Amino acid sequence: MNIPGLLPEGLRDSLPPQAQALASLVRTLTDVCGAHGYERVAPPLIEYESSLASGSSRERLRFTDPVSQQTLALRSDITGQVGRIAVTRLAQQARPLRLMYAGQVLRVRGDQLSPERERTQAGAELIGSDGPAAAAELLQLAIAALATAGVTGLSVDLTMPTLVADLAAAGWPLGRASLAQVQALLDGKDVGALKSLGADAFVPLIAAAGPAPAAIIALRQLDLPDAILARLDAIAALAAGLDGVAVTLDPTERHGFEYQTWLGFSLFGAGLAAELGRGGAYLVPRPDGTQEPAIGFSLYVDGLVDLGLGVELQRRILLPLGTPAAEAAALRGEGWITVAALDAETGAAALHCSHIWQSGQAVPA
Amino acid sequence: MPQRIMTAPLIIALPKGRILKEALPLLARIGIVPEPDFSNENSRKLTFETSRPDCQVIRVRSFDVATFVAFGAAQLGIAGNDVLMEFDFSEIYAPVDLGIGKCRLSVAQPDGLDPDLTRLSHVRVATKYPALTRRHFAARGLQAEVIKLNGAMELAPLVGLSSRIVDLVSTGKTLAENGLKEVEVIAEVTSRLIANRAAFKTDGRVVELVNAMRGLVERGDAAAA
Repeated sequence: MNIPGLLPEGLRDSLPPQAQALASLVRTLTDVCGAHGYERVAPPLIEYESSLASGSSRERLRFTDPVSQQTLALRSDITGQVGRIAVTRLAQQARPLRLMYAGQVLRVRGDQLSPERERTQAGAELIGSDGPAAAAELLQLAIAALATAGVTGLSVDLTMPTLVADLAAAGWPLGRASLAQVQALLDGKDVGALKSLGADAFVPLIAAAGPAPAAIIALRQLDLPDAILARLDAIAALAAGLDGVAVTLDPTERHGFEYQTWLGFSLFGAGLAAELGRGGAYLVPRPDGTQEPAIGFSLYVDGLVDLGLGVELQRRILLPLGTPAAEAAALRGEGWITVAALDAETGAAALHCSHIWQSGQAVPA
Repeated sequence: MPQRIMTAPLIIALPKGRILKEALPLLARIGIVPEPDFSNENSRKLTFETSRPDCQVIRVRSFDVATFVAFGAAQLGIAGNDVLMEFDFSEIYAPVDLGIGKCRLSVAQPDGLDPDLTRLSHVRVATKYPALTRRHFAARGLQAEVIKLNGAMELAPLVGLSSRIVDLVSTGKTLAENGLKEVEVIAEVTSRLIANRAAFKTDGRVVELVNAMRGLVERGDAAAA
């Protein structure tokens, strides 16, 4: 099959001005992280499948390496690679380690809701601590990065990924359902199915989801074990410390937070149907079998481009044939984009220029 | 994806057909009454105003309710758990069981057919629910060869299209009239108030309506008990 221009499902070309917007947004996001002391790392696109620890192997495009005969995979997430770097090459570096990254990721298939297979991921990870102070730093950093990129009406949804498993371990009755079933039904906030399986104990957790202060009050009224109440205190303090953004709490959400521990979070823009990013606390497996605490976030930059962010409105000026190079350089220095005419005929409109450089003056075209 | 501002109308997707009649009184009790044209089958309108100025309703096929809500094109909707099970969309919440539209999702087959499936490695099933049917039979080690139909499921065994069907059953009368027997209930079905995940987390009106409906249904439960 050779149809000109047809791309495989879930892949697309990025054209002007979106391709430039993507690059500019990546720069904005990484600059904000860099200014907060996060240092950039750039892991490779492809690794041994066995060392790409995070995510499900079914998500990755795999093939056999003709050189080593081992299975290689294209990364579907960069977080795991950053963790690997932290516990191998940077194992001896002092903690906490602050790292950030940006790059393309690929998953083997999209779904109906998000068909794209290639995405640009940017994020920051703090390795060596996952306590409330680290959580506050990462959340504020994610919010600052998105706000600098131009997102308005930001809202943060906090989640407690291990809550349901912890409550089941503390003796909350699962009825006729398995823990995995209850977790899946809570992910869908499926009250009817939870009741029909006798897991009624977990139903009040659904009503507790919503704006943070009210959700925390509702949760405190349930009979929670002390360890979870302490975690709730940490989350309440975290929520109270986030200024200028709406904060909601969804205690049971676990979908997409399968690897997170005490805290997960999703970032939304007002009225957007898709989330802008997510993150949380997790454990990085060390080569010796122990684990190191970490916390981080990932942002999906393509979503920001679709919002129309990152497009820099720069004036374009047509330079007639023979314009001296020094004049052109001076105009660029003033912030113009200069487009040189290669002949006398081409007009400003065809080259998307709003102005023409004539007798030392920028004249509207 | 266009940026939807907070003053944009809240859109509720409602299913055409039998569930609508039971759903409208519930919506009325939380303050949402569609304009009269909504009940006019001949109206060519696609979106309808309601008694609440910031809220519109749309009338779509029951399967499409889930799709509109999953994509966030509608923030709320009413759908049966049969539809939710078929799609298994990660972006849909079903926080309130409305207790209306009660029926069962069942496997049915001709009276004379042996109901024992243990010796079979595959079954041929006609259904409106291909994904759910495949999952159901796969869970018991059976490969389901699914024939997707959009209606008149009972016809399939009669004319030899498939040996079994998976379909909604309320009284079982249609099955009996066509010489079919309900052999297994896959799920009890009721209608749920469903919400888009992002809208639930970012639009206060969604949580407010969900809470209002939850309160209404819980009071109804208490009254019935």
